[in-house]
Amino acid sequence: MHVAIIGNGVAGMEAAMSLRSRDADCRITLISEESDHFFSRTALMYVMSGQMAYKDIEPLERDAYENLRLRRVRARVTGLDTAAKQLTLSQGEPITYDKLLIACGSRPRPAPFWPGYSELKGIGHFVTLQDLEWLEQEIHPDNGYDRPEREWEHVVDGVDSPYARRPSTFSQTGNRAKKPTVIGGGLIGVEVIETMLAAGLNPRFLIREEWFWPIALDTRESAWIAERLREHGVIVNLEENVEEFEGEHGNVARILTDRGTRETDLVVIAIGVVPNTDWLADSGIERDKGGGILVDKSLKTNVDDVYACGDCASVEWFNGWVRPEQLWYTGRDQGRIAARAILGDAVEYSRGTWYNSAKLMDIEYTTAGLVNMRVEGEQTWFYEERGTVRSTTRIIHKDGRVIGFNFLGRRWDHEVCLRWLDERRPLSWVLEHLNEARFDTEFVPPLVIPYDASRDVIQGA
Amino acid sequence: MHLQAQQGLMHTYRQRWRTRGPSAYLMSAILIGFYITLYWTDFFEQPAQQLGLGNKWMLYGLLYSVFMIIGGLYYLRHHGNSRYNQLRIATNVTIQVLLGFTLPFIMPMFGHPAFYFSYFWPLKYDYLYPHTLQALPVYLAVYTVVGALVVAPALAIFTGKRWYCSWVCGCGALANTFGDPWRHLTSSTSQSWRFEKYAIHTVLFLAFTSTAMVGIGEMLEFKAAWYAGLASSVKSWYGFVVGLILAGVVGTGLYPVLGPRVWCRNFCPMAALLGITQKAGRFRIRVKKDMCISCGNCTTYCEMGIDVRSYAQSNQTFTRSSCVGCGMCAHVCPRGVLRLESSWPQAADKVRQGIAAVDF
Repeated sequence: MHVAIIGNGVAGMEAAMSLRSRDADCRITLISEESDHFFSRTALMYVMSGQMAYKDIEPLERDAYENLRLRRVRARVTGLDTAAKQLTLSQGEPITYDKLLIACGSRPRPAPFWPGYSELKGIGHFVTLQDLEWLEQEIHPDNGYDRPEREWEHVVDGVDSPYARRPSTFSQTGNRAKKPTVIGGGLIGVEVIETMLAAGLNPRFLIREEWFWPIALDTRESAWIAERLREHGVIVNLEENVEEFEGEHGNVARILTDRGTRETDLVVIAIGVVPNTDWLADSGIERDKGGGILVDKSLKTNVDDVYACGDCASVEWFNGWVRPEQLWYTGRDQGRIAARAILGDAVEYSRGTWYNSAKLMDIEYTTAGLVNMRVEGEQTWFYEERGTVRSTTRIIHKDGRVIGFNFLGRRWDHEVCLRWLDERRPLSWVLEHLNEARFDTEFVPPLVIPYDASRDVIQGA
Repeated sequence: MHLQAQQGLMHTYRQRWRTRGPSAYLMSAILIGFYITLYWTDFFEQPAQQLGLGNKWMLYGLLYSVFMIIGGLYYLRHHGNSRYNQLRIATNVTIQVLLGFTLPFIMPMFGHPAFYFSYFWPLKYDYLYPHTLQALPVYLAVYTVVGALVVAPALAIFTGKRWYCSWVCGCGALANTFGDPWRHLTSSTSQSWRFEKYAIHTVLFLAFTSTAMVGIGEMLEFKAAWYAGLASSVKSWYGFVVGLILAGVVGTGLYPVLGPRVWCRNFCPMAALLGITQKAGRFRIRVKKDMCISCGNCTTYCEMGIDVRSYAQSNQTFTRSSCVGCGMCAHVCPRGVLRLESSWPQAADKVRQGIAAVDF
């Protein structure tokens, strides 16, 4: 059997490893336009800032492909003929397959609705390796060490692809960016901001919403993040809509917004990612409106022998939504399930309750359950700790039962929180036992909730 | 002190002296030159006398303390936004300044031998030779024997070897202060792990052998010429190769090139012994389930070259014998996945699997 996998990211690589561990004989081909080596996309910011060398973000040793007998093809897939079971590539011979797994991931959401986006230099995203190379050029033209020489001959430039290389302003002016702007108040936005701070710059953060990261934080939590960003010299502009980019000599020079004109010489747009599936338009593979490949519970598409997993596939969420889950650990889980489905197991991908974590500047963030979902009848219990440790604890409850947790400033064990959600624990019980879910490092004093803050809850129980 | 953890590390690969550039090799050459001069010449005797320090070893102790304090400040500036890091470095440096320098300097003034309370056999390989013990006052002899054979392993069972390697030991103190700028240079490849396992256990075996040979010879008064010659040459070769070359010249001299724990990881017999005890004890690094994003900060900043990421991404709570419990993996993790723990495992933790899934 020959399994072709499009994509060398976490979903594709995990599927390949699972296939190999079960089937020593099948032929496996991984096709990637972006990278010869599986790397952790979530760690790109650390390479950008200088915290890690490029090789450090590769989770596997480089001989893994050889040891697992995984063939790699470096190309862009340009077409899929499901009847002939054949893939056409940007370079080299077409590939025929017995089973196909599409794990081609996301691409940054493009912004053609802002005039100037497509023509001006100095505007880009921060999602792919090529983006890393571009941003590094703009910010650190000659100041990076232990950077690999990359081979990009196979990358087709000048086409609409997240892996096409973007010419830098630096290549024209020879100047590194001094007044960068980041558009989009989300996780990638704040990561890019951090790398710019590390480079000694004072970036501007343009956020459309009323507060930073409204899908995850409430106003009180978000105010703390904005405060921390400002302490570090970030210019945070909330409720500001971009209208147009203006340039000088082909390089971006100003952003026109509904609040005025912002001078800038570098723009990173971080307004989310979308499935990278435009190339499937004529293939007969069904996609939803957002571009996510529609799959059944075993991650099979509408066409036999074609499967999809990871960021490019729309799956059913624990709350009934059907959309891609753009998370690291779900990509990994889906890769494993897809591999088993390809081998003929009767498997179903089922997503447990939502949880996630992140770090915003130095502030740890953990969430579990239904938070910011506007569940009817939900109530919120909130406590802000301002002692040796600064933290916020937000617990969402409904009909006396806890349905969600949102934490900032401390580490918490999401497994324990998820168990409490399953057990439908009352708020008073959770508050009494909260420190059992603590995951702080040693010697950090426990969270002490003063009696005043929990009295009503405990008395009501 | 609220600078974020990442800020403390963010410039690592943008500083040439920290990334095996020419200046790193130059520093390494200077350090090696210093150790060779210190061990095999009397060059430092004169300045030591002039400073009223008695001999060159006291001068070395003073320099050691100064570099630890400067490095400790560097460490706190970079990673000081953590309680564990603050307490650990403050304790380690204080113990070394007091027990590794001040006390041995003062003791002779009160008629006691200069004694290093913070070192134990087999790190100080000559501490258990019968003639060494006989020369010590009884209280020090008891301290030496009980400390090395009972207290040190027992503590390692309860807290992991970190109580010694990164809270007390002088080599650890220098590595985590003066050597901290280079902690990311430790290799985490599987070849380096293989080398470590052979090398460190070989040194442990040699430490036992040389102690036993000298001990048997002296206690049984077995004075056959061939045996006395053999025992003394094993002893002096061990002292030369392990004590001088590996611990000093290689161990510290290669900080800027191979990272700060070359000695501790590959050659220290004390670390080997405590590592074996640690495997049987309570210490572990706990991994939160399905939260790791495989970024690799833990592996990059592990000074012992443990591929922490391979455990974290396969949800394995683990105990590695080489782990000195510096806590940096947990500190740099952007997802809060890791935590150092020393408590008897609960039922759920007992489901430990074999080795890492990525260990092909």
